[in-house]
Amino acid sequence: MRIVVCVKQVAVLGDEVEFADDALDVDPDYLDFALNEWDSYATEEALRTRESLDADDDEIVVVSVGDPRAENAIRRCLAMGADRAIRVDRSGSADPITLARLLAPVVQREAPDLVFCGVQSSDAVQAATGTALAELLGLPRVAVVTRIEWDPGGARATVHRELEGGLVDVTEVNLPALLTIQTGINQPRYATLRAIKQAEQKEIEVVSPAEGGEPAFRVCRMFVPPREEGAQMLDGGPADIARRIREIIEERLK
Amino acid sequence: MPRDPKYDVLFEPIQLGPKTMKNRFYQIPHCNGFGSEKPLSQAYFRAMKAEGGYGACCTEYCSISPESDDTHRVSARLWDDDDVKNLSVMCEMLHEHGALAAAELWYGGPHAPCMESRSVPRGPSQIPSDFEYLTYAKEMDKDDIREVQQLYVDAAKRAREAGFDIVYVYGSHSYLPQQFLTPYYNKRTDEYGGSLENRARFWRETIEQVREAVGDDTAIAVRMSCDMFMGDAGTQLERDCLPFVELCDEIVDVWDINVSGISEWGEDATPSRFYPSGRLLPWQEAVKKVSKKPVLGVGRFTSPDLMVDAINSGKLDIIATCRPSISDPFLPQKIDEGRLDDIRECIGCNICISRWEIGGPPVICTQNATAGEEYRRGWHPEKFDTAENADNDALVVGAGPAGMECAMILGKRGMRRVHLVEAEEDMGGIMRWIPQLPGLGEWARVVNYRKIQIDKLPNVEFIPGTTLDANGVKEYGAEIVVIATGANWVTDGLNGCTHDTISGADASQPWCLTPEQIMRDGKEVPGGNVLIVDNDGYFMGVSLAEKLASEGKKVTLMTHLGHIAPYMHFTLEAPNQHRKLHKLGVDIVPYHIPTRIEQGAVTATHVYDDEAHEQTWDADAVVLVTQRRSNEALYRELKDRVGFDALEQEGITGCYRIGDCEAPRLIADCVFSGHRLAREIDSDNPEVPKPFIRERRVIERELAVA
Repeated sequence: MRIVVCVKQVAVLGDEVEFADDALDVDPDYLDFALNEWDSYATEEALRTRESLDADDDEIVVVSVGDPRAENAIRRCLAMGADRAIRVDRSGSADPITLARLLAPVVQREAPDLVFCGVQSSDAVQAATGTALAELLGLPRVAVVTRIEWDPGGARATVHRELEGGLVDVTEVNLPALLTIQTGINQPRYATLRAIKQAEQKEIEVVSPAEGGEPAFRVCRMFVPPREEGAQMLDGGPADIARRIREIIEERLK
Repeated sequence: MPRDPKYDVLFEPIQLGPKTMKNRFYQIPHCNGFGSEKPLSQAYFRAMKAEGGYGACCTEYCSISPESDDTHRVSARLWDDDDVKNLSVMCEMLHEHGALAAAELWYGGPHAPCMESRSVPRGPSQIPSDFEYLTYAKEMDKDDIREVQQLYVDAAKRAREAGFDIVYVYGSHSYLPQQFLTPYYNKRTDEYGGSLENRARFWRETIEQVREAVGDDTAIAVRMSCDMFMGDAGTQLERDCLPFVELCDEIVDVWDINVSGISEWGEDATPSRFYPSGRLLPWQEAVKKVSKKPVLGVGRFTSPDLMVDAINSGKLDIIATCRPSISDPFLPQKIDEGRLDDIRECIGCNICISRWEIGGPPVICTQNATAGEEYRRGWHPEKFDTAENADNDALVVGAGPAGMECAMILGKRGMRRVHLVEAEEDMGGIMRWIPQLPGLGEWARVVNYRKIQIDKLPNVEFIPGTTLDANGVKEYGAEIVVIATGANWVTDGLNGCTHDTISGADASQPWCLTPEQIMRDGKEVPGGNVLIVDNDGYFMGVSLAEKLASEGKKVTLMTHLGHIAPYMHFTLEAPNQHRKLHKLGVDIVPYHIPTRIEQGAVTATHVYDDEAHEQTWDADAVVLVTQRRSNEALYRELKDRVGFDALEQEGITGCYRIGDCEAPRLIADCVFSGHRLAREIDSDNPEVPKPFIRERRVIERELAVA
């Protein structure tokens, strides 16, 4: 079985934030970078799937879109135990549809039995790349997966997916398929220093990006919303305050 | 990040008589074990706070004469011109950082045992000290009064010569001027005793004379206790202090207001166990209302919001700190730079004070391992050089106080990667549960500070929920391995009194428990009758007694020592802890050691009973606070079974133990141990501490060649 895990190196905001001169993004000087939290769960789930199915020819391939800096996140996955990695060489941020278009040909070429993505990335929080990629690949997809139980042989799985309001949808899926993995599905392992050092030595295949096509959206300007006047302090007991809040809401809704 | 404007008031200058202080951060007089006889340690220690932004720093109590010799404890001294030379270094270094230098002129009266000078102290009345044993003062006649006042004047002139900007006529903590003010000490019937005017006369005259001598270019400070908590006998705010302030306000440039006498000065230097920050504000506010002069005072302030509130609400003009300035000499600068989460907050454990009370050792701090090491080890609390072996990866096993500190400092010294691996799900080790003992919540700051710092260090990674065996360590891939696996309370009653186990003691039984089992593992303490065996002598036994008694159990606390928790006398926690235990009905059995423990009963003998008569106590549960033992299994496995040679073949160039894992000790010493190893990780042999500078007189002579 071959499992492809799509991962992203996300930007992490520090205490202070400034926008770049063109106001199209945050100034990278104010950003740290890390492996997207959801993707560490996806990588761990791939490793556990391999371990539970225990087949000889299993392979876990990590695919990411980014500039050379993104290799830090990729190597984190290799240190956890992924076998191989491919980086689609492209700098700058991209919308989820563009990302899916860039990932699709690379994933397709690997002909995976299973594709894992994180539910969302912690910086963009769009939760769309995984499902868009499934559409482009023509794969069945299960989103927001919190539990996977494999049939013997691994051709089919019973999958729990998280719905709103604490509901869980239990469904079955045949391979090949794409699953977006929710945090908490497992406890991602930590890489030892030795594994980190070995991952540093591994070759990461770099491929040129395919045509991204028309982006799903464009950033026109980033700015801090202007501060507005008019905070109104309410006095009185809880019941008085609740009544007053209701009146205010009703007035505004008119 | 720039300073939050709401803290601006803390950075406004203020006039103290002829001197201007650049901001509102003042390091109150406090001891450090250096005095005037370790002058460079003294100067570097105070200057670190000036570098960190303090607007003024004071000496500890500074003796004006051999008649006021506090040996065995260490004070500063201004007895002669050589003392002037020594203390002038401190003044110079403070001035280089733009801070004022203050000297707290001190005359102890009956409290000064004069063990070095063998002089006789003088006092208002001849009653032995309530703080010392066997020390009496000579009762002062009028000539004595003139002579002692002249001692103040001469010392003030020497202080000015040394470069001090502020001189105190210090009364608080029951020293001579306040002795005159207080009926408890002053039984005189002449014009220096009786009415307030008479009791105030000695202090007022002394202030006048000192002012006359140096006041034109030196600020005069008066430190007064406004409540001794002894009823009519002690100094009282309304009756004595406020009238005294009105009487002397014209001749004083700044008031330093606190509370307590000397025998229970933990009411002033409040342990966090009993008091929050700002406990002295009501007295400080009362003085501020009647005085036209600036009022400063302590309150173990670590929060800039509380500081601002104290100033804006008219309770203080200047924020004085003692312990918070030891814990973080850069407190002002961090507030100024908007780096509030970098503040190393004092936990109020008073381990610093314990060293003065013990009488001699240098100051230490649980939070700040560099306190007292500024000169002799050259350590700076905020600056770290890159280690020569920074291209190495380090593995620290165990995230207790020692392991956290070591990983943090290794990270700050730029090691390529540091992995801090912990069996539990979170950092802290013993400090995950010790702060849950009654009153010890603030002690959790030891963990919080380090957690935040470690989180900020990109080269340090915390790895929870992971237990490593020797093989795991060997194959982990680190070049440097640090084992910090802590210690545990023994389960068999082994103790430092008999150097043997206690017959029948076995904490695998449901009725026999250790502190960790109760606090960490949630093991239930059965029955209503609990006997705690305390051979430790610090906070654990009494804290568990308080906790279990508060939960409604009948608690007996048995120790082989003459007192329960004698170390808590040094931390000033003892008086109020005794009050608590007494109120809770805890039975205290000193001088006893168990000979046999069984379900339902503890049999013990008096330690000085040569016939070993036995007595039996009923006990549904027995808690063993007898001693700790290092958890050194992993280290022993690595050293004895795997062998350091085999580790070296795996690329591991050093394997060290730190903290309780090496030998159980104070939390402050665990933090120091982790810090010390990280500071010296690139020395020839990091296991052995590098020599430190010993400030001492060395005889110039050739050594005979052997």
